[in-house]
Amino acid sequence: MTVAFKTDKPQALIALIAVQSLCAAFFLWDVVNDLGPNGLRALANLHIAIEALAALALVSAIVYETRALMALLRRKAHLENQVSIAAGAFHDIMLDHFQNWGLTAAEQDVAGFTIKGLSIAEIADLRGSAEGTVKSQLNAIYRKAGVPGRGALLGLLVDDLMNAPLTSEKPLQKEAS
Amino acid sequence: MTDHRIWDPFVRAFHWSVAAGFLANALLIEDDSKLHEWVGYAILTLLGLRILWGFIGPKSARFSSFWPTRTGVTEQLSDLATRRRKAHLGHTPLGALMILNLFLSLLAIGLTGWMMTTNTFWGVEWVEEAHEALVTWAEISVVLHVAAVIWESWRTGVNLPQAMITGTKRVPDDVKLVP
Repeated sequence: MTVAFKTDKPQALIALIAVQSLCAAFFLWDVVNDLGPNGLRALANLHIAIEALAALALVSAIVYETRALMALLRRKAHLENQVSIAAGAFHDIMLDHFQNWGLTAAEQDVAGFTIKGLSIAEIADLRGSAEGTVKSQLNAIYRKAGVPGRGALLGLLVDDLMNAPLTSEKPLQKEAS
Repeated sequence: MTDHRIWDPFVRAFHWSVAAGFLANALLIEDDSKLHEWVGYAILTLLGLRILWGFIGPKSARFSSFWPTRTGVTEQLSDLATRRRKAHLGHTPLGALMILNLFLSLLAIGLTGWMMTTNTFWGVEWVEEAHEALVTWAEISVVLHVAAVIWESWRTGVNLPQAMITGTKRVPDDVKLVP
């Protein structure tokens, strides 16, 4: 079940990323030392080539984990103290749509607030940005979602919630979220 | 814009003299010279004073006011993930982690450097290797620190390098301050 992951603390992931970053820094430093005066030609040595590949693989794992952490934190930023299944399901539908529409991280945050009914001034205050910035972000959200305004945006999501099963595995949810 | 006086003269003098001393010793001064040793001891003395200042100095200089907590780190990362523009008046939690990292690294560099001058450890290989590895680590940390300061300044609109020179943080009005 994804419910266990939802309530999960991101701190374990942060610690994992920190430890792996230390390891990656060490391995990369080691590879750079091995390359030495020969430069990239040293990669012809099978051992060094494998070391370099392993280091790069570790780096890409860290990049992937960091993206997952950021997604988890964005999700938690709007899901504090919400334990009901309905709230969780609605949230999943919301995030799924946000990703399909290609909203940026900031737009996802603004959209989450506007769906909760917060005014432009309140969102600007919470996000520490100017009201003009929030307005243009809202315009981008409505344009990407293909709706004229907040009411229609909410309507889209509620419509999906009505059709979504609340208790079973949610087909809309992505594992990475 | 609202001005907040935040860094006292000692914190600023400490920051820039340690930065200058470290760069000079790592990049400019001959490793075997007496000057290298004296600059090293000067940095150690400054560090000792700064740590003492962390207990008796003004509030923003005290460890108790910026000691990083798990919640603080998670909240700052959440601000980054959601692109919320929140600024800290003192050190940010991630910044505080870097400060502790740099303090410990510089202390260890000073310790291994001093050991190389003693009869017991003179010419012992692992001490020299540790000294050099720690310097590489500190150099990476400094690059990360500078990159993070530029990024945080751009993200929050608070000119952090300027604040470390003048002691005053100029915070834009629409930025939300973290207490």
